[in-house]
Amino acid sequence: MKRKGMYRFLALVLALSMIMVLAACGSEPASESAGDEPSESATVEPSESAEASGDVINVGALFNVTGGQASLDAPALNGFNLYFDQVNAAGGINGKQINVVSYDGKTDQTTCANNTKKMIDVDNVVAIGGLSDTNYALAAGAVAQQAGIPIVFSGATKPSLPDEVGDFAFMTAFGDDTCAYAAAEYVYNDLGLTKAYLLIDQSMEFTTTLADFFQDRFETLGGEIVLTDNYMNKDPDFSAQIDRYLADNKGAEFLFFSGVPDDAGVLIKQFRDKGVTEPIVSGDGFDTPLLWEVAGDQSEGVIVSTHCSFENTDAVVQDFVAAYTETYGNAPENAFAALGYDCAKIIATAIETCGDDVTSENIKVNLEAIESLKCVTGTISYTNGHVPDKTASMLIVENGAFSFIKEIVS
Amino acid sequence: MRHMEKIRLRDSNIFRLICFVLAPLIIIIMAGQKNGGYYNGIVCTFGIYALLAASLNLVNGFSGMFSMGHAAFMAVGAYTSAFLTLAPQQKINMLPGLPEWLQNVQLPLLPALLICGLCAALLALIVAFPVVRFKGHYLAVATLGLVVIVRSVLDIEGDVTNGARGITGLPSSASIWLIFGVLVVSLFIMYRLLSSAYGRSLIAMRDDQVAAQTLGVNLTAKKISIFCISAFFAGIGGALWGHTQTVISGQFFYFNMSFKIVQMSIIGGMASLSGGLLGALFITIVPELLAPLESGFVLFSYPLPDLYGLSNIIMSVFLVVLIIYRRQGLMGNSEILLDTFFSKNTYTSVFKKDEYKHFAKACINLCQRKKKS
Repeated sequence: MKRKGMYRFLALVLALSMIMVLAACGSEPASESAGDEPSESATVEPSESAEASGDVINVGALFNVTGGQASLDAPALNGFNLYFDQVNAAGGINGKQINVVSYDGKTDQTTCANNTKKMIDVDNVVAIGGLSDTNYALAAGAVAQQAGIPIVFSGATKPSLPDEVGDFAFMTAFGDDTCAYAAAEYVYNDLGLTKAYLLIDQSMEFTTTLADFFQDRFETLGGEIVLTDNYMNKDPDFSAQIDRYLADNKGAEFLFFSGVPDDAGVLIKQFRDKGVTEPIVSGDGFDTPLLWEVAGDQSEGVIVSTHCSFENTDAVVQDFVAAYTETYGNAPENAFAALGYDCAKIIATAIETCGDDVTSENIKVNLEAIESLKCVTGTISYTNGHVPDKTASMLIVENGAFSFIKEIVS
Repeated sequence: MRHMEKIRLRDSNIFRLICFVLAPLIIIIMAGQKNGGYYNGIVCTFGIYALLAASLNLVNGFSGMFSMGHAAFMAVGAYTSAFLTLAPQQKINMLPGLPEWLQNVQLPLLPALLICGLCAALLALIVAFPVVRFKGHYLAVATLGLVVIVRSVLDIEGDVTNGARGITGLPSSASIWLIFGVLVVSLFIMYRLLSSAYGRSLIAMRDDQVAAQTLGVNLTAKKISIFCISAFFAGIGGALWGHTQTVISGQFFYFNMSFKIVQMSIIGGMASLSGGLLGALFITIVPELLAPLESGFVLFSYPLPDLYGLSNIIMSVFLVVLIIYRRQGLMGNSEILLDTFFSKNTYTSVFKKDEYKHFAKACINLCQRKKKS
């Protein structure tokens, strides 16, 4: 029947054009952050050489470049690639070039685990870097630990993560305890606010842990959590929580939101739209340009405790910002870009110390020996365990960008 | 007497034996050589998804209902298997709220699977009574609601489920042999169920509810029972999945997982268990094949930038195209895979000379047809 075929064809064309439009909109951020230059170091070649014999060393990069974690991991992958591009341009490590094998975790646990296996089995990587969220880190970490490949998590912050995965896991970022303690100390000591309203995302490990640590330190200092409320990641509407707050906020002087980037802008916008004016404070989950992209002017004055600030005049930081801006055409989006860079630096340092004998076991031993390595996000040492002791930086949103306030040692 | 023109390659038992039994068996054996390896992981994932997709087809394709709640039953199965197979010390640390008798229990995986399936079926039983009254879209939405409820309970009851942190350290005892063993047994049960009077009445119910009722089919009983049976296998699938991942958490048993299984079911063909297998194969293999495209590749010596997310877009476009042009899915109504596995003829055909002749004739036919066109 010709007509039926005609309708089907039209339906097909319409569907495909809709999808292409969506893809064009959707993939813009991805292609922006992936940069204009075809990144040579990100090609997937089944390695010609086995574990670092020959002229090429394979390093794995597992980041969730699509899905809910993309706003954290895409800049982190950029930072990671940037470091190894610089290293390769300068002649490689001990004369060998580094081939970064990068796979997308798709913010899906099965994909993360399978891709980790792929990197280890098929591409023969000697070390892996990546991932900003504890849940995915656990899945990928379990695989790496079993295979004896050291894995350095760029953005995951759970303090007990290396203990849970095993001795092949290392963290680049500070633990949630450092982050939360710094926020509590800044608010209590510097801002003088003593009564807190706590809004916690119950659906994630990171957010519940962060809130627990915050409460811990805040109450030890002498503050009081006057009101607590909950939500789930990706809830579109917070009117219930806002109404409860407006009905009786029990004298709360500020709001501490324990959440992740995709809810950050939405939370701030909805709370401010309904007339809540108290200061908003959060942890590194709110370290994202989504704050002003979604909440616009409402995001002015939001305070975030995070890994580093790009206004730090230290040469290491400024060199990084300049190199990133030159390569990718925009300033680093958030601290996770710097964490990705540092993660690469840590792995590279360990590989370099190996000399000619680059094996996973040696890399792990050399990682543990890292002491006082100057990185963009602070000075990193693994002498006290696989979680580095670092400082936290307090940032505030001013004029649609983050401004640095101070560093806090907690 | 068969006419020469009517002999198709796919009717030949020898062909079926080689293609659908021996070839997959060889792949499984090869993948099974290296436990924890990449190919092993892919094949295990396929095995589990195949079980899930086939069990979903029982409800979606054969009974006229459209359920999207598979992830909820998977979650129940996975968490139950965690409660049963973790060491008591781990349970005391992570799950202090569990009752003592449960904390001290530690079973090997195989018996635990049965209990997981039963728990999932129990949840289905509780939910089924209100839910099966719904028709069409309403049932789909109600089952989505079930997924949300299960996830919320898992995230909030921290004492019993370790909340959003999830449970880590599940023993990785789901070897490829266990997975495929369970898959084969489950498929056999489902296949025989569908060929029985029970299965026929389900199909009658799907095709025309009123006519089925006049023939004496008790609609409510059938709907509830098939819902529970499907949930039973989903629970087993969830438990196996948990043991291959070794870490489970509420967020992994959410819409993404449910939609993925529905997608497998639709691509393969809802009204066919073999379709479930094919859909699972498709969803497992195709993203892996498309993955190199994402990391930048050279097309006619023009280097393309990194296009992460491309494989998702391609899969979605394929799904849309499939629904427009072949709504019944890739397999349609054909049960060729299961017919091959579970029919005696396939295996005895090795000994029959006639079968070899038949196979040869079919091959010749194929070559002739190719030459003609």
